[in-house]
Amino acid sequence: MLDLFLTGFVALILLMGLRKPFIWVLAFLYVDIVAPQKISYALLTNVQLSLVVFFLAVVGWLFFDNKQGARVSGRQVLMLLLLIYCYFTTQSADFPVEAADKWSWVWKSLVWAMFLPLALRTQLRIEAAALVMVLSAAALILDGALKTMAGGGGYGTLKLFINDNNGLYEGSTISCVAIAIIPLALWLARDGTIFPANSRTRLFAYGLAFAGLLIPIGTEARTGLLCAGLLAVLMMRAVKYRWLYVGGLALAAVLVQPLLPNSFSNRMGTIQNNQSDQSAATRLAVWKWTINYATEHPFGGGFDAFRGNKLEIITSEDDGFGSNSTKIIDQGRAFHSAYFEMLGEQGWPGLALWLTLQISGLIQLEGVRRRLRKSDAPSDRRYADLALALQQGHFVYLLGAAFVGIAFQPFVYMLIALQIALVQQVRRKTAPVAVAQRRMQVPGEKPLAAHAPAAAN
Amino acid sequence: MIDYFSIALTHGLLVLVCLRLLTRADLDRDPAPEEEVPLEAEPEKKAKWRVRRA
Repeated sequence: MLDLFLTGFVALILLMGLRKPFIWVLAFLYVDIVAPQKISYALLTNVQLSLVVFFLAVVGWLFFDNKQGARVSGRQVLMLLLLIYCYFTTQSADFPVEAADKWSWVWKSLVWAMFLPLALRTQLRIEAAALVMVLSAAALILDGALKTMAGGGGYGTLKLFINDNNGLYEGSTISCVAIAIIPLALWLARDGTIFPANSRTRLFAYGLAFAGLLIPIGTEARTGLLCAGLLAVLMMRAVKYRWLYVGGLALAAVLVQPLLPNSFSNRMGTIQNNQSDQSAATRLAVWKWTINYATEHPFGGGFDAFRGNKLEIITSEDDGFGSNSTKIIDQGRAFHSAYFEMLGEQGWPGLALWLTLQISGLIQLEGVRRRLRKSDAPSDRRYADLALALQQGHFVYLLGAAFVGIAFQPFVYMLIALQIALVQQVRRKTAPVAVAQRRMQVPGEKPLAAHAPAAAN
Repeated sequence: MIDYFSIALTHGLLVLVCLRLLTRADLDRDPAPEEEVPLEAEPEKKAKWRVRRA
């Protein structure tokens, strides 16, 4: 039944693409996030769904779409450089087979992120892509949250549709992403035009935000709790009544405490007391190893270079009678951090490229927000709010990435593509006005106060 | 059961998104500034409703 439903759904969406080829772009976003071919057990598993939809999306854009105003941005060039660099490190990787395996999905993720902004060239397309990404992720988030409420959570035991530990189906990754998309979901409910702002859209968005907050509880991923904390702080910047917001947060924290499962509270307690926690001690040992490794291999060891590590971990626990130390020998432990993943796998140049890609996005979004926030034009206000939502989500990702190896997580690259599309859209919209102003400006006179967001600020 | 509910709700909404996009001309071309949908559409509706009730 589920199989038939998913197959019918995919077929319907692909058919709609015949009328508007842009729908195929949205279809790929859905397929890449939800991976219906994994949930399905017969029909969809027999076709290379991801490849077919990717092909349709690119062909649809190439042959049937208007490319007016599409231009390549600096961040797309950065991704291209990162892609080329990763290709070369894969050729000389410490573990060629494993590196080739990771490369097989990393290049697709980067190529898609480079392509996507070219297709997102109108306001509605940006909104549609954001909405499809949020709804696709919502399938997993709602599933996880409802199972958590029904008591099916637990570290490494929360099952989202299928038993899979890849992509968004991995506990720590979905915890980080579920929190990171909350601002985007709230933006869609407030400024959306596909589902205009009303009580139903608000109810869904608030429900999804609540479900997103339940995911770290269900997966017992400490990263998720830190991400939720950061988002709470970041949102203070945008709320109207700060004291009311802080009071509401404090009240919610007090009310929710007794309802949390014991296993969750115990695991979150290890954030402070990481000396006794093997997972935290292993992370610190891996990170130390990575720094030493990067000193010897400044250009990185290629994908999955962590497989070469051998660690000596000492954990200490105070049992009331004294401190008990335990020595553990471990090897081939994953980086557990996107920053160290980049450093170990791609070396210092790779880390620098990746950091530039991340930080430049934050700066550009801040620029868009400041430029448009006081504008009177409705679309400008929407763009400013979207820039803030994407920026908050990206800050959350960058914090989560400190503890999870998600440097090449495809969903995050889709968010980056959305950021690029937004910045490009704002540039396109303001460029003609700026040019007109330059042409009509008489030396010594003030610029024209036309519909120019830059002038409004 | 939870799986079915999550899939049905989100996939139903995804179909609705695509259906709505099929009828939108601004999917392929941005509207001119004067054609833009105002941000305060919802409060206006509420205000009308309140007037009618009064």
